[in-house]
Amino acid sequence: MGDMRTIGKMLILGGALLVQGCVAPKPGPDLLAPTEAQTKLRSFQTRTFDVADRKVAMRGVIAALQDLGFIIERANEPLGLVTAARFAEPDNLSVVEVTVTVRPQADGHMMVRANAIFNHTPIDDPKVYQNFFATLDRSLFINKEE
Amino acid sequence: MASSPVQLDSGHDGQACCWCCSGYGGRMSLLLRRWLRAAVCMTVLASIGGCATMQPAEFFELSAESPAHKAMQTRLFETGNEKELLSASAAVLQDLGFQVDEVVREVGMLRAVKERSAREYGQEIGRFFVMVLTIGYVRNSVDLQQRISAVLITRPVDKAGMRSEVRVMFYRVVWKGDGYVERTTILPGEQRMEMIYDPEIYRQFFFKLSKAVFLEAFTL
Repeated sequence: MGDMRTIGKMLILGGALLVQGCVAPKPGPDLLAPTEAQTKLRSFQTRTFDVADRKVAMRGVIAALQDLGFIIERANEPLGLVTAARFAEPDNLSVVEVTVTVRPQADGHMMVRANAIFNHTPIDDPKVYQNFFATLDRSLFINKEE
Repeated sequence: MASSPVQLDSGHDGQACCWCCSGYGGRMSLLLRRWLRAAVCMTVLASIGGCATMQPAEFFELSAESPAHKAMQTRLFETGNEKELLSASAAVLQDLGFQVDEVVREVGMLRAVKERSAREYGQEIGRFFVMVLTIGYVRNSVDLQQRISAVLITRPVDKAGMRSEVRVMFYRVVWKGDGYVERTTILPGEQRMEMIYDPEIYRQFFFKLSKAVFLEAFTL
């Protein structure tokens, strides 16, 4: 009898779980609204450089990404877009992807924005973006020197 | 590795059946406790395993090997003609059996791909011995197909436009075939990705490229 009661309880629990699974959570009305965290993340991901030519800035971005071991997947000069990825060595099943956009500003500076993703999850660690911009700074500086 | 959790699970299932059949109600809770303990252990193990992988912050830091890799993948040419370098690179990659996938002339980028069999004698022999030793119970999966890609970037390195740099990176994605452990099938299609760091491959490519553009390739 005790066994039957336990099985009954388990069935009810299973049923409840099933019913819960059927109701998909609806996206809230503020799904696309900017949050404070997003604004903060955007400031980490954006930096302005003292470069006037977009092509020079793009080549700097590509060189910096290559130095960091990234594979350049796509580049679009008219839009100032570079997409790159690298394997999370020695773990050869994970991937880090990054999209960098380069946009000229009205004051003759260049705005660079980077979005990085680790296995489909956005990276929100400011240190990651600081490291990237430090490498980019070096790459653009070397190019200027030459 | 993929087969071991499967085996573990089936072992527990078998045990669960025996306990149910024995008909002791008190043992249900014992079983539940064991299951919980196993689940907690698995979770802890998984989290420890997760810690061992590289943290994302390190992906944007130059590693100790970066300069060596750059030197291996880069050559300088005494020419300002990037278009010529790109088309010669495309021709060399074609000679090596690659199909050109994408070219963006404005930023000097070229991507080429080739697919080849990834079968190796070593793996096949290993699989045969595993099968013999386990009397046919285990047939591990071997590498079947690979896609080798090359991404090449040309870049002027001086203001006068008389020198250009060519950097090429080779990498590959390998697909595994099927296998089995007793009656549990290991599905085909598992992927493995890796950069190619064999200096000989890069040396060969640049040797061919310098012949194609009639120029000497200088190292960094």
